Amino acid sequence: MGLFERVQRQVIARGLIPKVISLLPLISTLCIVLGIVIIGILPFEGQYRNTYISENALMPSQAYSYFRESEWNIVRGYRSQIVELRNASAVERNAIMSEWLQQFGTKTDIYQNHETGDTLYGVFHAPRGDGTESMVLAIPWFNADGEFNVNGAALGVALARYFSRWPVWSKNIIVVFTENPKAALRSWVEAYHTSLDLTGGSIEAAIVLDFAGEGDLFDYMEIYYDGLNGELPNLDMVNIGVFTAEHEGMKVSLHGTPFDKIKEDTLFSRLKILMSSIKNSALSGVKKTYGNEAFSGWRIQSVTLRARGQNGPFDVTSFGRVPEAMFRSINNLLEKFHQSFFFYLMLAPRHFVSISSYLPSTVAISIGFALASLNSYFNNPYYTLPFFSLYTLLSILFWFVSLVVTFIVSNIFIYSPFPTILLAVNIIICLYPAILKGNAFMKDLLSYRLRSTAFLFMSLLLTSLLMVNFPLAFGMGLLSFPMTQVKTITSDTPTISRTRVKNSVLLLVSNPFIATWLFSLLCDNEFSGLDVFERLVSASRELGCWTWLVLCVGWWTPWLLVAISALDTVKLSNDSEDFKKQQ
Amino acid sequence: MGALNKESYVVLGCIGIRLFVSLLFPSLQHQLDQAVEFSTPMTSFKSLYEGIYLLKNHIQVYDGGVVHHPVLLVWFFSQIPSEFLIDLLYAFIDGIIGYQLIQITKYLRKCTIPCWVVGAVYALNPLVLLSCVSRSSIIFTNLFISSALLYVLQGNILITAACIAIAGYLSVYPTLLLIPLLNMVRTTNRKVLTLVISLLTWQILLLLSYNVNGHDWNFLSATYGELITFGKVFPNLGLWWYFFVEMFDAFIPFFKAVFNLFLFSFIIPLTLRFHKQSLYAFVLCIGWIVLMKPYPTLGDSGFFLSFIPFFSPVFGYLRYPIFSSLLLLHGILLSPIFYHLWIDLGSGNSNFFYAISLVYALGLASILADLTWALLRYEYDDGKPNYKTKLTQI
Repeated sequence: MGLFERVQRQVIARGLIPKVISLLPLISTLCIVLGIVIIGILPFEGQYRNTYISENALMPSQAYSYFRESEWNIVRGYRSQIVELRNASAVERNAIMSEWLQQFGTKTDIYQNHETGDTLYGVFHAPRGDGTESMVLAIPWFNADGEFNVNGAALGVALARYFSRWPVWSKNIIVVFTENPKAALRSWVEAYHTSLDLTGGSIEAAIVLDFAGEGDLFDYMEIYYDGLNGELPNLDMVNIGVFTAEHEGMKVSLHGTPFDKIKEDTLFSRLKILMSSIKNSALSGVKKTYGNEAFSGWRIQSVTLRARGQNGPFDVTSFGRVPEAMFRSINNLLEKFHQSFFFYLMLAPRHFVSISSYLPSTVAISIGFALASLNSYFNNPYYTLPFFSLYTLLSILFWFVSLVVTFIVSNIFIYSPFPTILLAVNIIICLYPAILKGNAFMKDLLSYRLRSTAFLFMSLLLTSLLMVNFPLAFGMGLLSFPMTQVKTITSDTPTISRTRVKNSVLLLVSNPFIATWLFSLLCDNEFSGLDVFERLVSASRELGCWTWLVLCVGWWTPWLLVAISALDTVKLSNDSEDFKKQQ
Repeated sequence: MGALNKESYVVLGCIGIRLFVSLLFPSLQHQLDQAVEFSTPMTSFKSLYEGIYLLKNHIQVYDGGVVHHPVLLVWFFSQIPSEFLIDLLYAFIDGIIGYQLIQITKYLRKCTIPCWVVGAVYALNPLVLLSCVSRSSIIFTNLFISSALLYVLQGNILITAACIAIAGYLSVYPTLLLIPLLNMVRTTNRKVLTLVISLLTWQILLLLSYNVNGHDWNFLSATYGELITFGKVFPNLGLWWYFFVEMFDAFIPFFKAVFNLFLFSFIIPLTLRFHKQSLYAFVLCIGWIVLMKPYPTLGDSGFFLSFIPFFSPVFGYLRYPIFSSLLLLHGILLSPIFYHLWIDLGSGNSNFFYAISLVYALGLASILADLTWALLRYEYDDGKPNYKTKLTQI
């Protein structure tokens, strides 16, 4: 306590507090810079770590994989049959597949859903288990790109047949054939946990197979692991995928790294994968979904394995050996996945950073907002007024109203999306201060308090989002930060019209919808036009992804407050009635 | 007349908001009752409901080990015929507490805040509001605590003694509030009278419970026993559960005694130190119990925070109000999120939730410490605020 007192005395003696308060805008900006720097240094040697298998029981690739020549003709046989089903209806496809699965003793059932399409699934009961746990092998009939998943389906049924002849399993194996890897699979997962009769216990892990086309060969494997709403599978799950694939000699690509770049292990390549992993995780569900996302939220560790290229040295069975080896690994587990990291960012298939390294960046951004809030509270002539004044209450009221409004609008938008109108309205709101110039309708104190409330809310929101969905919090923090630079306009403001223009530009740049739209166009080649909004909404409706809601309620609400605060104001001068009354 | 109107508006508004929320979002009650922040085994409405069912069907209420509510409360609820009446009752009780807070404010000569504001703070406090909607039975304890305080200020020690005894009957720890309460009673004779009456009331309540419970004393261990010995190790916002999850069995009784002693140990010193500002001593004791009790909910802390406007004369002396409020805010916001990470998603673990409940406890503790300091400074300056002088704590 003595030390603390001494520091406090020194701080007061040197008059540091007023100095710090006047420097708040600078410090708050420095916090953002710090946040970027913390992420930026992660790809440097020594900042990241190499992946390792944390749970000893997993022992990936310790057992010899037998899914080889003996199965080759079986896969090919199934494949030649499945090719003919290309134009068959879903019912026919499922009927034939269900017959095949039953031939080797799998219990099958069809989950019927008229909106998303029927899903066939079969449960193979473990010979050595008590039937309370299971592993899922999911095969979408049509993959994320809409291609017919011929090899995937053939592998799925061949693997199921092959697994059924083995006595080693201690967890049930569930094979799932869905129409698509998005809504259909998601609705099946939800039905499995709520309404289905035929079940095989709690699902510990899920592997989605995606191998479109009828060719025998492929070049390399791609692993997708981003879950919805910032969830990730346990790092051990990703690791056993990478380890077993590399054990088979394949190269593994993450986040769409092209074949010729996989070998690269440079600062730049790591930075690129790091950035893509943040972006893809933040936009998970909004971007193409490959299937692993469907299992989020049910304590299921899931990855998607996708074969890429057509001329490589690897054949179908070697692709099948990867899920085989992974299932053998998962089968060894006596407990749930818990050893390794649940919060991580990948920099390469064998490099990662854990949460303690990257979390501080968004904490810094959140602090930046909190300081911006203090700045607009203290750095004005009225900081001596009591906190509980009319204007504080008004700003809280404004906040509450815009919270309700944004919530309602976001829900209406889910059912009838009009992105053009939304963008137009937001652009008009940005330009409003310039249109309305001269017509002041509020006191400048209210403007300061509004911003203070807005930034405090944003800071709290980012902190809450931090652990749940780090990439989204980071992205939102960065993109919305320009709004902290908005200034109150009074009659005293020098260069009034310049400030107005500046405010409008800052508001435009930091608007949730405009910023998301521009980001989707500039930083990702999957989006075109305004379709990011439709995808956000469909992710929210079909997958239960709450990115859209967070954008609206979490980002738009403070933005609206800041936009209101940018309107022209009247000075609450020292001799006015208000000021005296307040004091 | 204007002021009176404002006050009645506040009370009516308080009741109205609660009814509105309960009736508009009927599923909210169930969801909040599931949330660890608002419901504990000792206060949850679900277990109360179970108790009502058992009682109505003449089954021993406490045999199943599910119900930990006092007998008379269960009996009282079993007499209420409809769900709507229960909603109405809860809303009404919160309205009464709001009204009582307004009345208490009138006895504070130095308080600079208009009376209705105190009521409005209570009515709009989201913690109290949600706790009321969750039908947590803590509201009854709170009602009798605030009644006890109001009547002691009015000088009606009979009702005061009865109220504090009922509060103690409902959840044991408010019995400790008898100590600061006795400090507020003037003469020794009256003090003794208060003590005797509250003991008598307590005895009568226990005897009534014995009768209602089918001439069985097992309710004592099921309610008070479980509460004091922290019988159900459930995660909550308090400081207890994590210790007893991790501890070797041999040490558990000892540390339970230590925790209880610790809870008790601050009551008398606080009362003695602030014997001249007896009402503030009472409020600080409430805060201390909320911080240290084995099964706290946000309803408890919401109730405690509603007393903070009383401290308005010493607000100027607070040293780190921003720090405390940010801590508390973050604790309250993050606790459901970390609980979700732990229980629902499985990507977090119990340490996450305990860490955030520590943040919350630190927030409450720093509010308590800051208020104590502010009171001491006020005393030092003899009621004439002098914010210029800087004092060291030691």
